[in-house]
Amino acid sequence: MNGTAAVARYTLLELSRRRVLLVFFLVGSLGIVGLGVGLRILYSLFESNPNGGFNPVTNQFVELQFVSLIRSALGTFGLLIAYGIGMTAIYHDLDSGAATSIFSKPVSRFAFSVGKILAGVAALVVIVGLLAVEARLVMLLFGGGYEDAITEEVLATVANTLVVMLIVLALSTWMNNIVAAVVAFVYYNVITGVMTLLHSFVTSNLIENGVARAVIDVAYWLFPHPLTSSIPAALVRAQVQAGGQSGQSSGPAAAVLQGSGPGDIAWWAFVMVFFAAVVYYSVRRRQV
Amino acid sequence: MAVVSVKDLRKRYRAGDPWAVDGVTFELEAGEAFGLLGPNGAGKTSVVKMIAGLIHPDVGSISLFGSHPGNPAARAQLGFAPEDPDFPKFLRASEILDYFASLLGLDEAERKRRIPETLAFAGLDAERRQIRQFSKGMKQRLGIAQAILGRPKLLILDEPTADLDPLGRRDVRALIERLKQSGVAILLNSHLLSEVELVCDTVAIMGKGRVLKEGTMEEVVPEGRNLEDVFVELFQAASPKRDQLPSFIDEGQSR
Repeated sequence: MNGTAAVARYTLLELSRRRVLLVFFLVGSLGIVGLGVGLRILYSLFESNPNGGFNPVTNQFVELQFVSLIRSALGTFGLLIAYGIGMTAIYHDLDSGAATSIFSKPVSRFAFSVGKILAGVAALVVIVGLLAVEARLVMLLFGGGYEDAITEEVLATVANTLVVMLIVLALSTWMNNIVAAVVAFVYYNVITGVMTLLHSFVTSNLIENGVARAVIDVAYWLFPHPLTSSIPAALVRAQVQAGGQSGQSSGPAAAVLQGSGPGDIAWWAFVMVFFAAVVYYSVRRRQV
Repeated sequence: MAVVSVKDLRKRYRAGDPWAVDGVTFELEAGEAFGLLGPNGAGKTSVVKMIAGLIHPDVGSISLFGSHPGNPAARAQLGFAPEDPDFPKFLRASEILDYFASLLGLDEAERKRRIPETLAFAGLDAERRQIRQFSKGMKQRLGIAQAILGRPKLLILDEPTADLDPLGRRDVRALIERLKQSGVAILLNSHLLSEVELVCDTVAIMGKGRVLKEGTMEEVVPEGRNLEDVFVELFQAASPKRDQLPSFIDEGQSR
């Protein structure tokens, strides 16, 4: 327990001094403020222009745009930070030879792995959490009633980025950390992205062929897939409504974008445990 | 009971490769200084890494304080200063020692007492820079400092003076002498034969993974000769002569 706490504590201290993470955080937080203030200024311009020629722009609609952009920003910066932590937290100790001194001390490889994972999780949650708090504060500029929507989205973002971090962490104990990041990107962001999209076509009955549906269903559960909040679907419905169309017409698009269910959340938990176990297995086998 | 007992140790890094360590056997008692010598690639570092539990032998057994090197309780009595030591690069020397003191399970009071003294011994007490700005010599001094932090009963020093200046080397020699007197067993792995001759009681000379010669210093080095003579004699026949310079060296002088 002492070993785990020491490894976690000093890994966190190291992570807090890594400039790349600081840069990602600063760019992310400046981006969020910039998005919010920019949209608010645009809204004020539309509001003050009686001949604007736009549909009536409501606070709600502008806030929806902000939520939509924030989703992308949080997802992108969360991923960058996850890659940053995953590529450095264990790899540099193993690559530099620091592990030689650490492993000769009375600390088990299990305690070391748990400490590293805990530090990575804590760093990621804190950084993405701070960005989310900032986004929530910026939303006060709008007052459109979607303030709570960001919470669910943040949870999904944190959950997804944790999986990415663990995949990179596990791969970086086997291979060069840049190669590990590329492999993780192809695995998680490309392959599973395609699988998730295909699966959403199945669940919304856009693919009707029985064999194709079965194959996609099986493949979907063989890969980790990102959790999605109910926000994308709500955004589509709200945007369609704000555009003056009937809520019914948003049905197919909203169905494709439906949020993750309990099965997806259970699968996410399994994937987390699986990749944490891979991290431990790799560290245990590693000869330094 | 021997502090460390190594029996018929064998290790190879890839199937089909020659053995990096091939049937090494020795024992080390408390208060004894044992020198492990040999040319580059002889297998010395592989042996000490197996004793420290960092790599696993393919064949043979190691008993460290009567236990397996994988046992953290056994490693708590071990201090290991690796060759070319490195540390988490964004931490400072005092933080590294605090980190390692936590891994050793030292309490707050003990950490406060030992860390400043150890830093002073290593000449790093005034150092505030992060490890990434350290020279090789500074890292080597920190490597020795972290190895003695837990007051080990067995101290393994793998090329401990390679990057040190003459004063640093003198300090390490004095450290070894003092620890020996207090009953600490020392396993010294070094190319600096004159140093080994000064501080070690027993030596083993390795070549291509095997122990070629072993015994007390008196047994290995006959009177009137020194360790370097014995070492060179042992390996001269097997190694190609390198007394001819590359041809381009003389070209500039003949112009």
